[in-house]
Amino acid sequence: MARNKSILTEARQIERAVTLIHLGARLQVLESETDLSYERLLRLYKEVSGKSPSKGQLPFSTDWFMTWQPNIHSSLFLNIHEYLNKAAAMDEIDTVIKAYQLYSEQIQAHGLEPLLSVTRAWRLVKFVDNGMLTMTECSKCGGHFVTHPHEIARHFVCGLCNPPARAGKGKLAGSLQMGRSDVTVAAH
Amino acid sequence: MTSEQVLAEIREANLSYLMLAQSLIRDDREQALYRLGVSEDTANLIGALTPAQMMKIASGSTLLCRFRMDDDVVWNLITSHGKGAANDGLSRLHASILLAGRHREAA
Repeated sequence: MARNKSILTEARQIERAVTLIHLGARLQVLESETDLSYERLLRLYKEVSGKSPSKGQLPFSTDWFMTWQPNIHSSLFLNIHEYLNKAAAMDEIDTVIKAYQLYSEQIQAHGLEPLLSVTRAWRLVKFVDNGMLTMTECSKCGGHFVTHPHEIARHFVCGLCNPPARAGKGKLAGSLQMGRSDVTVAAH
Repeated sequence: MTSEQVLAEIREANLSYLMLAQSLIRDDREQALYRLGVSEDTANLIGALTPAQMMKIASGSTLLCRFRMDDDVVWNLITSHGKGAANDGLSRLHASILLAGRHREAA
């Protein structure tokens, strides 16, 4: 589609950007998903969130998604994302936004903190799009989980069917301990 | 319950379901597809129902909505009483992931 300077298109983009800022997206996400200029996005960001955006590079590694607890969160998000992708025709970024809203709502309904940020969720979808990550079906429960590509599906068992020995230890055994990144290190 | 009561309760439940479904669909159609687990066509139909149509559809001897999980795996996960409270959150999360992965009905 031609990138015309329609006011309606721009209004739509600003609305999108505002939603993303509310969800806590980094400026890089906004830059990549809208045609608004950096200066305008910066002003918008300050106006909406009341503070300057955090600086620095985005996390670029796929490893984070493989650790035990993040993998569970990422898998929930990606399943919802795939669901919306199949069920409704939307722009890619809108699918991410709506899936993220549903994800964080569901996580909060479980009494947990959304460990996956919207920026990470957006990255995850990009990683899947360019084949750096994929979903593999667990041979035990049949659920789909975020994995590296070429995981041997026949032998793959997800982190929930077979939690790593030290997962969630130190507190109540088996429960997801939120806000404690030290717990998640156990996954590899 | 007398059969009259049964029918009244079913109508009540159907009506609540339809009204909730319709407001969800009107509020955010795409998210409603996920929440309700219905196809886009069905969502369009429900979204366009008039109150009179709703009343008509709601009165019948069967419920309009049904379970989204019909297998042991998910069922055991959400009803796992035996495993203790510590595992409960994890099981429910597991069930959520499995349910979110089922888009065959919606497509």
